[in-house]
Amino acid sequence: MRKVGIVDVALSPGVGSSLSLMEFTYKPVKEVLDKVGIKRNEVDAYVMASSDVFHSGLSCANSFDIDATGAFMKPMAREEGDSIKAFIYASLRIMSGIYDTVMVVTLIKGSEHPDNDTLTSCFADPFYTRPLGIQETTAAAMQKRLYQKRYGITDEQCAKVVVKNLGNALRNQNAHIKKRVTVEDVLNSKKICHPLRAMECAPKSDGVCAMLLASEEKARELTDKPVWLRGFGSSMDTFYLGDRDLLNTQLKNAASMAYKMAGIKNPAKEIDMAEISEPYAFQELLRCEELGLCSQGQGGSFIDSGATQMTGSLPVNPSGGVLAMNPYVPRGLYRVAESALQIKGQAGEHQIDKKVNTALAHGSYGFCGQWHGVVILGN
Amino acid sequence: MGRMGRAVAVIGTGQTKHGRRDDVSYPDLVREAIQAVFEDAGITIQDVDAIVYGSMPSMMEGVAFNHFYMADALRAVGKPLLRTETCGSTGQSIAQTGIYWVASGMADIVLVVGSEKQHEGDAQATMMTIPDKITLPMVGGAPVAFSMQSREWMGYFNIDEAKAREAAAIVSVDCHDGGLNNPLAHIQMKVTKEEVMNAKIITYPVRLLDVCPSSDGACAVLFASKDKARKICKKPAWVKGMGFRGEEYYTGDSNKAVWQSTIGAAQEAYKQAGITDPRKELDVAEIYNPFTYHELMFMECLGLCPPGEAPDYVIDGVFSPDGELPCNPSGGVLCTNCIGATGLIRLAEAARQVTGKAGPMQVEGAKLALSHAMGGLEQFNAVTIIGSKL
Repeated sequence: MRKVGIVDVALSPGVGSSLSLMEFTYKPVKEVLDKVGIKRNEVDAYVMASSDVFHSGLSCANSFDIDATGAFMKPMAREEGDSIKAFIYASLRIMSGIYDTVMVVTLIKGSEHPDNDTLTSCFADPFYTRPLGIQETTAAAMQKRLYQKRYGITDEQCAKVVVKNLGNALRNQNAHIKKRVTVEDVLNSKKICHPLRAMECAPKSDGVCAMLLASEEKARELTDKPVWLRGFGSSMDTFYLGDRDLLNTQLKNAASMAYKMAGIKNPAKEIDMAEISEPYAFQELLRCEELGLCSQGQGGSFIDSGATQMTGSLPVNPSGGVLAMNPYVPRGLYRVAESALQIKGQAGEHQIDKKVNTALAHGSYGFCGQWHGVVILGN
Repeated sequence: MGRMGRAVAVIGTGQTKHGRRDDVSYPDLVREAIQAVFEDAGITIQDVDAIVYGSMPSMMEGVAFNHFYMADALRAVGKPLLRTETCGSTGQSIAQTGIYWVASGMADIVLVVGSEKQHEGDAQATMMTIPDKITLPMVGGAPVAFSMQSREWMGYFNIDEAKAREAAAIVSVDCHDGGLNNPLAHIQMKVTKEEVMNAKIITYPVRLLDVCPSSDGACAVLFASKDKARKICKKPAWVKGMGFRGEEYYTGDSNKAVWQSTIGAAQEAYKQAGITDPRKELDVAEIYNPFTYHELMFMECLGLCPPGEAPDYVIDGVFSPDGELPCNPSGGVLCTNCIGATGLIRLAEAARQVTGKAGPMQVEGAKLALSHAMGGLEQFNAVTIIGSKL
């Protein structure tokens, strides 16, 4: 199996952009090509991630995206759903030995959409569950209640995630939400859906991420600081929420596949930093548990310990995470890109102090995370 | 580029009965194809490492990201899943995703499933959401866009309209005859050249019998590594080459008569398969032909005949059932179009042909077959070559 390297990445800001969808997409793609110093015709293949439901009203998203991504007259495909899928597919293409360079591009203009709750309500089947008002936020509220009841996680512990991540985002030039908040601010924010408060929920953002992947030989040729893919895993859960244990998700399965491939036995010790998708604050705690970064039920004391702070032993979401910027489809690839930048030492003002040798990126979407993907990167 | 990774085999195919399937729910339609593929391959879901699924856009499915809704029907719970979507070419794109997965060494057996239940959705309304607001009044909807392309092609090569009309009618007659041989086909009726040429006009020059139906249906294919295929399957089919190309979004930005995405996709696939003279070397072709005129253009752009000469070749019977290179013995898209599955059905039929499992549709002694799909605003083309030998 061939090794896969990340050559370079470019990210757009998350605030609503005045650029058209085409121009907005084009900029980071061009930026990556310029940074690496190659032309479009030197890229072997393209994999996009964009979604018909989150695509400014245009179906068959890649039909429109093909110009600005530069994918025309190239081997190309598009993944629908979280962009970590596109990262995995692009990696498979390189591992197969058929291509040496693959560009991954993911895009969204959330500012041109209805709110995420309206769009995610369409995930529900139209007959039985959609009429009940289920969408990602109401589903997450049920998951949070169960989490608090079973493990005694407090509202303060969940609020601390918001304080930490928005605090980190102050140093991230691309972040959408930039404000210093306290635990009291979070606890006093409006109840959206018991027990979730407004500030515990991610915003709806714009975002484009372009990433150039290459085979080992090609990556070494194109950059002095390649970041290597060490492992990935993904897993689907069953559809109906009532058929699942919401605190025992497929993330464990996805993580064990990724760890096995990367040869990681003790993730809490071996992983230096993590970028975890947390559209709802409590999910960062739960997901730290399921990723094996702390023990089951200990997500609350894990944040209390300070381990996940920028200066802690295992910083989580130094970029500010999804709570600070939530481009729905691209958010998974943003996690991979931020992890790669930390390993390269190029994360800018939110670069963590210690050296990052091994990083974990996680993506998830669907009610309570029906799909999870985990990527392990190394230097 | 051009090198293939690990060898990839087709070890099983499964399809539903296509047509108007009011008798089953959408997930049950998917289950029907999956049950068929497991029966064909003689394995179970426990043997499958990963799953690829595809359909048309959410608007057409009634549920957004319908891989969530289908997770249980797909038997995907607890497994890695990729959801590839490229509009009409989705069926070929999901097959290629599965092929790359096996070729990469990250999976030994991959289940690929495509599906559509068009009678529960509104295909044309969905297709009206593909063009932007500027081009919508001109190219909205499949018949408008593709009729315009047919006229561009006739004009570009100065093809006599009566000759093109006759050739398109022959394509329709051949496909409908094929459909009668295919127990799973949606449209099963005998038509004559005269009936096609006098059928109701849809959008000039396309008439009713030049157009595919809207079908409910699903298709499932199992891809496997060489070692697994040799263990499980008495007679696997082998992936010999694959290509995919797409063109710019705006129709006016590219020449649609000399269709570069079709040419590019075919050339890449032929290069991998070592094919230099496709008409001579291929034994059968399953071409994506939602419109008869399209099939004529594809014959040219896939390199099966010289540009501008498809009508002559068709009238000479070169692509008819007893001709040099039979096209669409299954009845093709003209008899069955469950869009998300359609490109995968082409590949499944190609695999059945080269393994001698095509029953009444069998082209005698077929060893090398082409499968193809097209999608987007006349934008995407995908080709996968399947052979009987590794």
